[in-house]
Amino acid sequence: MRRALTTVLLGLGLSVTLADVALARIKLITLPVRERVEIQLDNPNATLVEEERIVPLVKGVNQVDFSWANTQIDPNTIVFRVIPRVEPTGERPKEQAKPEAKPLDVKVLSVSYPPNEAALVWQVAASDSGSARVRISYLLGNLTKSFNYRAVASNDEKTLTLAEYIRIQNLANESFGSTGLWAGFGPRFLKPIGINETKEMLIEKYQQVPVRKTYTADPQQFGYLDRPQNKLLIPMHYVLKNDKASQLGRAPLQYGKVRIFQEDRHGGTAFLGEDWGKFTPLDDEMRLYVGTAQDVVVKRTIDKNEQKRVAGNLYNREIVVKYEIENFKDKAVTLDISENIRALRNEVAGNTGRDVQWELGEGTTLPGQPDKEKSTFEQVVFHVDLPARGADQKAVKTVHKLNVLIKNEW
Amino acid sequence: MKIILASVILVLGLTASVWAQGTTQSNVDLSTVPSRDTVQLTIYNSEDLTLVRETRKVSFKKGVNPLQFSWANTLIDPTSVRLRFVTHPEKLELLDTTFPHSKPQMLYWNVQSETDGEATVEITYFTSGISWSADYLCVANQDETEMGFEGFVRVFNNSGEEYENAQVRLVVGKINLVEKIAQLAKIPVSEVAKMPEEQSRALKRDTLALSLERAAPAAADAAAPANKPKEIVKEGLSEYFIYTIEGTETIPNGWSKRMRSFEGQTVPFKVQYRYRVPEYGDQLVRMYLLTNNKESKLGTTPLPDGMVRVFRQNGRDGLSFLVGQQIKYVPIGDKIELNLGADPEVIFELVKMKTWRDNLWMQIQGADVFKRVDEPGVEIEVNSNVVGWDDHTLFAQRIRNYTKKPIDVEIRRILPGHIVFRSSLGAKNFDYQTVEYHAQVKPMEKASLTYEVLQHQGRNAKQNNITVETVPVQ
Repeated sequence: MRRALTTVLLGLGLSVTLADVALARIKLITLPVRERVEIQLDNPNATLVEEERIVPLVKGVNQVDFSWANTQIDPNTIVFRVIPRVEPTGERPKEQAKPEAKPLDVKVLSVSYPPNEAALVWQVAASDSGSARVRISYLLGNLTKSFNYRAVASNDEKTLTLAEYIRIQNLANESFGSTGLWAGFGPRFLKPIGINETKEMLIEKYQQVPVRKTYTADPQQFGYLDRPQNKLLIPMHYVLKNDKASQLGRAPLQYGKVRIFQEDRHGGTAFLGEDWGKFTPLDDEMRLYVGTAQDVVVKRTIDKNEQKRVAGNLYNREIVVKYEIENFKDKAVTLDISENIRALRNEVAGNTGRDVQWELGEGTTLPGQPDKEKSTFEQVVFHVDLPARGADQKAVKTVHKLNVLIKNEW
Repeated sequence: MKIILASVILVLGLTASVWAQGTTQSNVDLSTVPSRDTVQLTIYNSEDLTLVRETRKVSFKKGVNPLQFSWANTLIDPTSVRLRFVTHPEKLELLDTTFPHSKPQMLYWNVQSETDGEATVEITYFTSGISWSADYLCVANQDETEMGFEGFVRVFNNSGEEYENAQVRLVVGKINLVEKIAQLAKIPVSEVAKMPEEQSRALKRDTLALSLERAAPAAADAAAPANKPKEIVKEGLSEYFIYTIEGTETIPNGWSKRMRSFEGQTVPFKVQYRYRVPEYGDQLVRMYLLTNNKESKLGTTPLPDGMVRVFRQNGRDGLSFLVGQQIKYVPIGDKIELNLGADPEVIFELVKMKTWRDNLWMQIQGADVFKRVDEPGVEIEVNSNVVGWDDHTLFAQRIRNYTKKPIDVEIRRILPGHIVFRSSLGAKNFDYQTVEYHAQVKPMEKASLTYEVLQHQGRNAKQNNITVETVPVQ
């Protein structure tokens, strides 16, 4: 069986008519080997394989067979191109490197697809006998890529080293020798990849990436840690900004798992946690959920909920949310307090289905102004600095209020 | 096996008996099997229908000559088989046609000949199982200004029969068959709909056959030079376009064959980014836009429905696969729009900045009295309800361009209801509920396009359309 040795095979026969192709069962074929293979992984949904082979042709019409077995080659995507001039690649046989006396004029006449076979047959006309370099491209299934990261934070958690890896899994049932692999960004790799092999390669290592450690009180997004005591769940995130100032910003950060470690004081590292890093375009932030901060305690209560009639069934509503905050850590931290005003209205007055028209009231004691970049038409975000617990191991309790006036409700 | 490979057989009977003319059939027969001289396939891909026209040379003797035509294991429509005398029609006459009860894939003709001698007969019939499709290969240059645009046709033969050295013609386009039927059958359109289905289908087939016969060039034996790709001649005929493949082809049963139909070496195209939810979903997509005309080095033929596969030179002596997209029939002069999907280098975000309400109207319960809330000096009764108001929303359409080129962005937003769209973006109505505006964003630039949507609600809503106002919005 001609397909027993390799799964993707190019054969050159000397038959000239399709009838011969259909009926001839005894034939002599030559088997041009792959000279160069490139696997393009830049499309998010498809893997493109490009392989070059040097095909000996005779003057006249030649039959070039291409067959495959047990691989998911999409036959409709196969493109056969004759490379006009033979380019030296370093792997080329010496005799091919000699200047050619006269370039071959090679044309593809037609492609035929036999029934019930993973194969096709090109009819190729050559102006003279000689060798032609051809490039065959096709989409191949089950050869996939994914990305993952290893982040090692410094002991003081101010910076981290972020290593980005590409992992290529070859379940395509075809082995590739020394093959060019490219993800659409970063370096091109020249590696062999065998059947059922997974290959992981470092794309880039970013050093000294500033990391912002955030603690977030957001009842709508993260809920409560202890509802009877009104204690909010406070997640801790590492936040990286994908820009040049943060030693990143060369390409979007791809979706993938991020394993986070921290340097200890003994030259080793400790595993902190892991999270899925979302696809992060340039200038956007990648937020990595590391774990729950149980030493930052925030109790949230609604102190005031009062509606004032404007006319008829039209009301304005005043709400005061109180946050009692204690930092039991031995370090000062910044807490992000985030409140969704629409959800707050729904919580106290039911869902009217309408957007909220609101403004901050004078009773707001949260420091400064809302973060303009993070706040939206219905989400308000404040940053609160919390001092470390005292020498007597007692935490200072800070109380802040958010005063919201919701208008024109009915 | 011969029977399987060549299952359409014409047999000339040499017995004295004449089939189906009232005499008995002999048990000992001698017959000759005239082979095909020429064959022409006209493949109509919008229905599973192919017109086969073949010629054979037959020796007739003076008197009545029985001919047997059989088509075992094929998909030929028996009611469509026709016999015509190409040579000596004045001396040959078809007396009758018999479909024997016992052998469904067979018929007999009795031919009256006035002389002894050879004549060429033409047999036409419809078969199914032969089809064709078009596909296209586009390879854009790295700068995305020009592309190689090649068209291909692929013929599939699953008819059960191998047609050797056949001239192949492919019919492009969907005809309004009812109109065509009416035109050729000379009956009013209103009568066509009333016809029984079987009759209508038969008429449709006859109409098709008539149309195609008129377009038939007598070039079946024109052989193409063997060392160059075959030219595919395109010609228009009424609402059809017919591709005739140069020379002849042999496509064995079960096989398919793909040939280049045209090549446009350097087709210019434009890149545009579009946001159109009904067409492309809720995302900004990158488009390649080109035109099927002579300026674009195309325009020699309409482009039949088919798959377009788009690649781009990646600048590293290789290709990047961009997309595979099915296109609909593209007439000469019309646009070809290829959707490459979202571009990770262009970030497109819509942010609601602010919402507020005004122009609030109250109605006293049980009375036809309406009062505006903020009107000075007006007292509103307690038992009043809000019945009309205006919702205002301020949006920022943010676009970040991380590509190396300026980009042209077209945005269409559907805003149902009674809407006033306020901006200084040069917006216009695309239709009554869709507003369209454009923006150019330079490389590495972050654009923020702000606009206000005012929606009249409740009693304030009097229309279901958009009014576009050009005013500065902050």
